[in-house]
Amino acid sequence: MTKKTYFFSLFFLFFLVFLRLYSEEGILIRNGTIVPVTGKTIPNGCLLIENGKIAKIGTDIPAPPGAKIIDAKGFSVYPGLISSLTAVGVTGYPGSGDDLDELSISTAQMDPYDALNPEDDCIEVTRIGGVTTVLTISGTRNVIDGKSVVLNLEGNFAEKMVIKKYAAQIFNLGAITSDKYPTTRPGVISLIREKLNDCLRYLEMKKRAASKEKIRGEEEREEWFKTSLEMEALAPVLNREVPALFITNDEVTIRNALQLMKEYNLRGILFASADILKFAEQLAQEKIPVIWAGTQTIPKQWEPYDLNYHTAAVLAANGILFALEQYGWGPESRNVRNLVVPASLSVAHGLSEEEAIRAITINPANIFGVDDQVGSLEVGKIANLVIWNGSPIQMRSRVQTVIINGKVIQLESVQTRLRDKFERIIKDRMNKK
Amino acid sequence: MRKNLIFLLSALILMAQASMAQDLVLKGGKVLTVTQGTIENGTIVIQKGKITALGRDVLAPPGLKILDLDGKYVMPGIIDSHTHIGFDDTDINEITDPVTPQIWMKEAFNPYSDSILKNLAGGVTTVKTMHGSANVIGGVNITLKLKYGKLLEEMIIPGVRQQLKLALGENPKRLYGKEKGRMPSTRMGNAFVLRNAFIEAKEYKERWEKYEKDKAAGKRGLSLPKKDLRMETLNMVLEKKISADCHVYRADEIVWVINFAKEFGIDLKQLSHCVDGYKVADIMAKAGVAYGGWVDWWGFKEEAYDGCPYGFKIMYDAGTNIVINSDGLEEGRILNLNAAKVLKYNDIPEEEVLKMITLNPAKALEIDNRVGSIEIGKDADLAVFDKHPLDSTSKCLLTIIEGVIYFDYAKDSITAKGVSHD
Repeated sequence: MTKKTYFFSLFFLFFLVFLRLYSEEGILIRNGTIVPVTGKTIPNGCLLIENGKIAKIGTDIPAPPGAKIIDAKGFSVYPGLISSLTAVGVTGYPGSGDDLDELSISTAQMDPYDALNPEDDCIEVTRIGGVTTVLTISGTRNVIDGKSVVLNLEGNFAEKMVIKKYAAQIFNLGAITSDKYPTTRPGVISLIREKLNDCLRYLEMKKRAASKEKIRGEEEREEWFKTSLEMEALAPVLNREVPALFITNDEVTIRNALQLMKEYNLRGILFASADILKFAEQLAQEKIPVIWAGTQTIPKQWEPYDLNYHTAAVLAANGILFALEQYGWGPESRNVRNLVVPASLSVAHGLSEEEAIRAITINPANIFGVDDQVGSLEVGKIANLVIWNGSPIQMRSRVQTVIINGKVIQLESVQTRLRDKFERIIKDRMNKK
Repeated sequence: MRKNLIFLLSALILMAQASMAQDLVLKGGKVLTVTQGTIENGTIVIQKGKITALGRDVLAPPGLKILDLDGKYVMPGIIDSHTHIGFDDTDINEITDPVTPQIWMKEAFNPYSDSILKNLAGGVTTVKTMHGSANVIGGVNITLKLKYGKLLEEMIIPGVRQQLKLALGENPKRLYGKEKGRMPSTRMGNAFVLRNAFIEAKEYKERWEKYEKDKAAGKRGLSLPKKDLRMETLNMVLEKKISADCHVYRADEIVWVINFAKEFGIDLKQLSHCVDGYKVADIMAKAGVAYGGWVDWWGFKEEAYDGCPYGFKIMYDAGTNIVINSDGLEEGRILNLNAAKVLKYNDIPEEEVLKMITLNPAKALEIDNRVGSIEIGKDADLAVFDKHPLDSTSKCLLTIIEGVIYFDYAKDSITAKGVSHD
């Protein structure tokens, strides 16, 4: 062997090793029941992941060389679940405070992206519970709360996690205060009107300021047009580029939300935790999507005990696009993994299992405009999927494998680490006795 | 004539009592006895509110009303040993002093509260409804059956030992130290307040004993000690006429309060919201005190950060009496679903998990001789479900207390009622 061929062979060998290390080889899931949610369930099916995306779905897919093989025999493969209103990534550590609810009654410009912590313990706990994608908000206590982002719960940096920036602006129609304007619900809706009117004027002024036309009183220009980040945040809501998500908690706030959508021609999303059934027909007619977070709300004294358990079934029967959500957010929302609880209760009281699963996968994806990327198992979508040993809506079902962005997630969290630590400590202590 | 009238009246009263204690036969159900496995196609005979016969081949005595369960599941009525139903919100915490054992929660309970009906719809038959956690020593809780509409006296289980509410950790610290600027503002302060109260109670008792002794000896010029209702209750605890339930999150405080109870001879039956319980499972098992808490709540405050749903297996293996509680109506309506969560995170047999919402809380409440499992001789407190109660798409169809149906899906459900929203 000449020296030249020797070096060449060596180089070639390194090249092969390099290829093996740095190329994404793909993952093939075999023998599982594939539940795409948007298509027919495939018993004994296969799913191939390449470059973080779903590359193929079928019954007999040969394994590409080097692919990691996951045998899903006896298990079911579902798209990762999607939670529609959370504080995952901004919950912080209790005692040191979270990053929600900046002080002011209108904080439209607040963006949770700017506070997003990929090391938040809540991320691991949530994703090993089968929830792979969430809408994270900047708060709910203000009348106009801020932007929200859609995140995949995988990635070392905020920009790796976000799949949609500014997915919706959050308004809370029940956010009255005890001492400052507004202390009433008519005050809340007026404040929103004032802000939206300000924004319309702001946009007009901005247009004039940008125009090449000579404007009378040139020297005054500076004075009457100043960039306002708050108005800039509201502008795409008025332009229908960004939907307005209205948090409501009763009949009055629902009515006011529908009123605002009409008055300003907004792309509205209704978040409701009670009293929604009366509006079912109108919501269906006007095609307003709903996040129904009231399954676990305790009905009023005069209402039947199962009114809210039964509500999702009625929404479905009316053909309303709805997502299921738990009531509660902020520090309490660390139990995002319990997203399946309202799904279980709704199925017990008349909703079909298929509808329930759609309401925690493809429906929220639709509502936030990320259904081209997540929410179902379809070729070309981001490979966010969960392998379960039963139906996800059974509380006792266990997560076997979680894949987000095509990466297999370690089934670890602050809680599995606590378990391992204290299992050992107690075993040692009991053995000594 | 008058004699006859009295006889007639007593006969009427006896008849009324007889009709209250119901006779009923449930047949054709899958009976989850909780202590002796499942009886397929089982029959339960109820006479005077008690289970008198149970099994696959049981003949119902003639003349009893028979209910065919058609393969539905029957489990013991669910028991919730930590809730706050039946009270007005402002009656839950006497938030004026960190030591309020003079408070008796039975003096706030409303037997017509709507929360009872909504709790019954979740298959719950017995609860311990409690004072809140604002005070280091709160009020005396009540253990009762959810016999909606009956008098409180008829709901309270006869002879049951009631439990005094204690609370450690962040809540008393925050509500007194931070919000009122007074003791306790630290965990040391909590410990001091608790210890001091029981020392005071002991001295109070000695003072009274000395007075009674001197009086009996005929001594003159004795000054009459003052009655102190707080001290009276604490002495009932020291005399074991009342036991205790302590709200406590952190492992160090769990160990502290177990030692404290031992030192003062207090019967500590349950530790509530006990999220760190798994860290000291062996110590709790040895002390014979129950873990009471949620399955998977965590992180909603600092002392709850280490909540761990996988900890149930650790406690189960250590022999801790595990009890799942609701802390209120919201979770209290779905305790069976909460029990199913245990199976998600832990390899524990189904029957043992069902015990966590039936027999185990009955033990923590010292009423396991009459409720908590389906056995001959026990009270006929039962819940019928359409599917296995650990199936989270199941729902309760019937809730029965001492043979009386208190919740019936066919009558109480919106779908059955056909309420229209068009």
